[in-house]
Parts: sequence; C-alpha cells; structure tokens
Amino acid sequence: MSRLLNLLRNETMKIYVRPRTWILVGLLVVLVCTASAFMHKAPEEQAGGLGWQAAVRQSVEAAKQDLEDPGVPDARKRQLRSDIAVGEYSLAHHVPPLQTTMWGGVQSASSLIPLATLFTVIIAGDMVAGEFTWGTIKLLLIRPASRSKILLAKYMATLLFAVALLVILLITALIVNGLLYGFAQAGMPYLKTTAEGAVRESSMLLYILQTYGLKLVELVMVVTLAFMISTVFRSASLAIGLSIFIMFAGQIISFMLLRYSWGKYFLFANTDLTVYLDGQPPAEGMTAGFSVMVLLLYFLVFNVLSWEIFRRRDVAA
Amino acid sequence: MTTPETAPIVELREVSKTIGGKTIIDRLSFDVPRGEVFGFLGPNGAGKTTTIRMMVGLMAMSGGDIRIGGSSIRRDFERAIRHVGAIVENPEMYKFMSGYRNLLHYARMMPGIGEARIREVVELVGLENRIHDRVKTYSLGMRQRLGIAQALLHRPAVLILDEPTNGLDPAGIRELRDHLRVLTREIGLSVIVSSHLLAEMELMCDRVAIIQHGRLVAVRPVKEFADAADVRQVRIEVDRGAAAKALLEGTAANGGNGSGSGDFGVELDGNELTLALDREAAAEVNRRLVEGGIKVYGLQLAGKSLEEQFLEMTGDEPIA
Repeated sequence: MSRLLNLLRNETMKIYVRPRTWILVGLLVVLVCTASAFMHKAPEEQAGGLGWQAAVRQSVEAAKQDLEDPGVPDARKRQLRSDIAVGEYSLAHHVPPLQTTMWGGVQSASSLIPLATLFTVIIAGDMVAGEFTWGTIKLLLIRPASRSKILLAKYMATLLFAVALLVILLITALIVNGLLYGFAQAGMPYLKTTAEGAVRESSMLLYILQTYGLKLVELVMVVTLAFMISTVFRSASLAIGLSIFIMFAGQIISFMLLRYSWGKYFLFANTDLTVYLDGQPPAEGMTAGFSVMVLLLYFLVFNVLSWEIFRRRDVAA
Repeated sequence: MTTPETAPIVELREVSKTIGGKTIIDRLSFDVPRGEVFGFLGPNGAGKTTTIRMMVGLMAMSGGDIRIGGSSIRRDFERAIRHVGAIVENPEMYKFMSGYRNLLHYARMMPGIGEARIREVVELVGLENRIHDRVKTYSLGMRQRLGIAQALLHRPAVLILDEPTNGLDPAGIRELRDHLRVLTREIGLSVIVSSHLLAEMELMCDRVAIIQHGRLVAVRPVKEFADAADVRQVRIEVDRGAAAKALLEGTAANGGNGSGSGDFGVELDGNELTLALDREAAAEVNRRLVEGGIKVYGLQLAGKSLEEQFLEMTGDEPIA
C-alpha cells in the first residue's frame, strides 16, 4: 500500500511540476471569474426592481392560474404544486430564491465543469503516451513495481487532478459569487418538497455538491476514455483530440443514434443522469438503472483495455 | 546448489523471441559471472537490444528464462529487477524536472532508498552543483552521469548498459569508461554492456559474448591474461622445433638469467612454438634461440585483436 502511495506521489509530482498544469489551473480560475461576472444579475434588474418578494409572489400567482387549466398534464401539475409550496415557504421564512443569491451563481458555474473535463483530458492524454514519447518509460518500468500498479497510480493521479480542478472551480465560484451577490445568504437552506408536497429545508452545500457530483459522471467517462487512448495508441494528441471531439459531439451523435434502437447503448446517451431526476428518459426503455449499467460497462471496457495492453506491451522503441 | 557468491549474476537459458512468426532471438544461453565487465557484441539487427530488453523485462520472452541474482525475471520480476540498474540506450530523464527530482522519483520506487543515498550517488557522479537545475539545461555528458546515478541508486548487483556510448563524444566515452572502471573495481559491480564500438569493448570488457542472427556465436575473454596486459601469445617459427623447445625449457629450469626467465608454457606444433611472452621476454627468447644455434624465421603475435576475432566469427558483415 505504501508502495502504491509512493507511485502516486511520483505521478502527482510529474503533473504539478510542469508549468502547463498551473497555466490550466490559472485559466480555469480566470474563466470561472469571467463567466460568473457575465451571468451575474444586479438586484435592481430582477423583477423590474421590485425585489425578490414581488417576483416570487408573481410567479406563485401565475402557477396557481396554470393549475386551474384542466388541460395541464399530471406531471406538470405536480411540478406547479411544488413550485407554489416552495414559493410560499420562501416568502413566509424570508428565504430568497436560489437565482438571486450567490448560490445561484455557484450552481450556474457547474456548467463550466466540461472545462475541467477538457483540462483533465489534456493531462490524461499525456499520462502514458508522454512516457513513451519522452523515452522515460524504459527507466520507469525497470523498477520493482508491477506495471499494473504503475498504471493504477497514473489513473488515480489523473482522477485526483480532476477532483482538484473541481474543488478549485467550486471554491472560485463560491468566492466570486459571494463577492458579486454578497455573502449575506451564505447560510441559506435549500428548499425541496417531499413526496407528500411538504417543504423541507436542507443543506445548500449538499445540494450544490450533488449538482457537481452528477456532472462528474461525464468527466470520469471522458477522462477514462482519454486515458485508454493514451495507453493503447501511445499518442497524446490522438488521446486529447479524439476524446474532446467525442465529448463535444457526443450530444449530437447520441441525438442521431437514438433514432435507432441500439442508440441507447451509446456512451453519451447515458452520461447525463440528471434527466432521470425530471422523469424524462432520452429514449423508450431507458431507466436510471439501465444507464448506470451501460456506464459501468464502458468504464470496465476502457480500463480493462488500458490495463491489459499496458501490462503486455513490449517496449521496443 | 551453488553459493550466491560464485553463482553467475545473470543466467540466460534457451531465451527465444519471435515477433510475427520471425525468430529474432534463437535459444540464447550464457552466464554472466559476478564482478566482470561483460560485453555484448554483434552486428546491427543481431538482437543485442532485444536481448537486453528481455533481461530488464521491457520485452516479454517467447521462450526460455532469464535469472538475475537467482530470481526469474519472468515469474518473479519484482525480486529479480531489484538487482538491476540499467540505462537502455540514452538515459532519458524527465527534462522538465530537476536532476534531484528525477532521482527522488526512482528512489521512491524502491524501498529503503532515502535522501542520504541520493546525495551519495550525486556525489559519486559529480553532479552536486547542478543537481537542482532542470535536466533540460544539462549537457549530454551530464545526462549520462545522471543516468548512471539513477542506475546505481538502489545499489544493484549488476549494471546493464545498452549502447551507452551512443551519441557521446570521445571525451564523454572516456568519462563513462572511467566511471565504469571505478564501479567495477571499487564497488565490485558486474556490468553488462552492449556496444557496436569494438575498440571500446576491448578497453572496457573482461569477456564478450558475440551474437549474430539472434544466435550465440561465442563467449570469449577479451584478454588471455587478465593483469599484465602486455603478455600475448607469441608464435615463433624455427628450423628445429623440438630442440628449440628443449633449449627454452632447459634455460627455464636452470633459473636462467634475469628478466625473461621462468616457465613460458611452450607449446610445439611442428616447427612452430607458441609461448606467452611480454615484449622484453620475446626479445630475450629470440636471443637465446639464436645463441643456441637455432634459426628463427619469424616471430609474430598469435593473439588476434577483438576486431579480427569478431570479423572472423561473424563474416564480413558491417558492425556499426
């Protein structure tokens, strides 16, 4: 175990000693700040300057009217009732809506997670391929450490880098949005409705972490894909190029493939697990369980492929 | 069972490698004795690098086994590789890190190697002043020294060097040779070195294995007489062989006079005598033969240079 820890220390050292890693980190901080500043709405712009109470009252009224319409489907009705309950609760307990506080900004910043994915892919692409290009693989593999352990340390270091980027993203978003919206609402709760329609207060931080966590699925899959390509083809540019292309084209590709019955087995048709929270599966027959199984399968295939090929490869050149 | 002190440090048994149906290495077997500089010689494409890569586990064997310090590199890789320090071709380091961090990286992969040991090897290769600079800024000679430092870090029993003189200038080659000499003489390390530079091998090695087309051609000591480097086999052609032999052995038995006296180990083949002599002794023997009334037609060194032996064994294929 301590041996694996040492290997992990080596791999992290090789990541963080390079200036480009810090350029990526700096870039992420700058982009989070910029994006937060652009998305920030000054209080006077909200609801025509009447304050959030007026805006919430308006939307509660509108929801009640909608509810009277008999043509509204049941799912929508449930949503409306929950909105009304949360709206009334927030008025009664002076809890402003998420969007008017720093937490709204922090939540929006989660849309920048693909950026963290992109930066991690750049690191992952070099992780194994780099050792081959530099020729250092020859000195790395002639030590009393099995190839499997070395590869595991590399994979762990990559994922730890992703986690570090996410933590940096979250902390930057917290600070910047705190400065933009004020820290006054830092302690506010997250309001959610139970199955019976009652409103409960829960931890805001936990809610934000959940939002980030669900987006982590795509990150892990794309990074694992990049790592696999890096290991199998020993080319960093192929690993970075191909994974980023698949990541950005993934939604379009899955939209096209979902016309066919086998389209639901495509990786990117399953990476967004948030769709199951709203009860709208992307295709017939897809459930949260199905998607999780498909994701696990891809995850296993990527890792077994990397592992087997790395373990057996003759280091010839 | 042989004792660990006398058992060969590296043993190759029927080692084979086939790639895509083509046999690259064909049932190679030989031993590398402890404490020797062992050369690995062969024309380009003979399979030197492939064999060395199989020794250090970078390539898998198709058949046979290699044991290092008694452990199989195939079945017990982690134990076998502990005995090995290696530079495979150029010592490629992480250029974006300092020399020290490079060494730290390798030290962490081996239990029980601390900062004190890193300082020790840095001193040994004379890199104290530059060790905290990035490797990017090192000259080739300095990189070579850092390469030796990483190979020695874990106090290996055998140092494996694949074409270590590639890309080095004559001064660098000399520096490397001096380092190797210090290491083998003072630390008692065994060294396996592959090179296509015959003259270099002749200067460096105690013994060479010559391979061609993936097969072992021969294992030869480079010098017949390890210490007095000048003693060579000398062939003397005379008119009466038996008389000449008797004369020389007679003077040896009588104690002779001065320098050239002693047992020359005379061998007779027709009218040709073969003796082990240094330069002075050869002149002395010649004088005695002539004074003894024996005609000397010719006197020549019988020992061939490594290059002659090599070309004889491998045909006239180019070496480099």
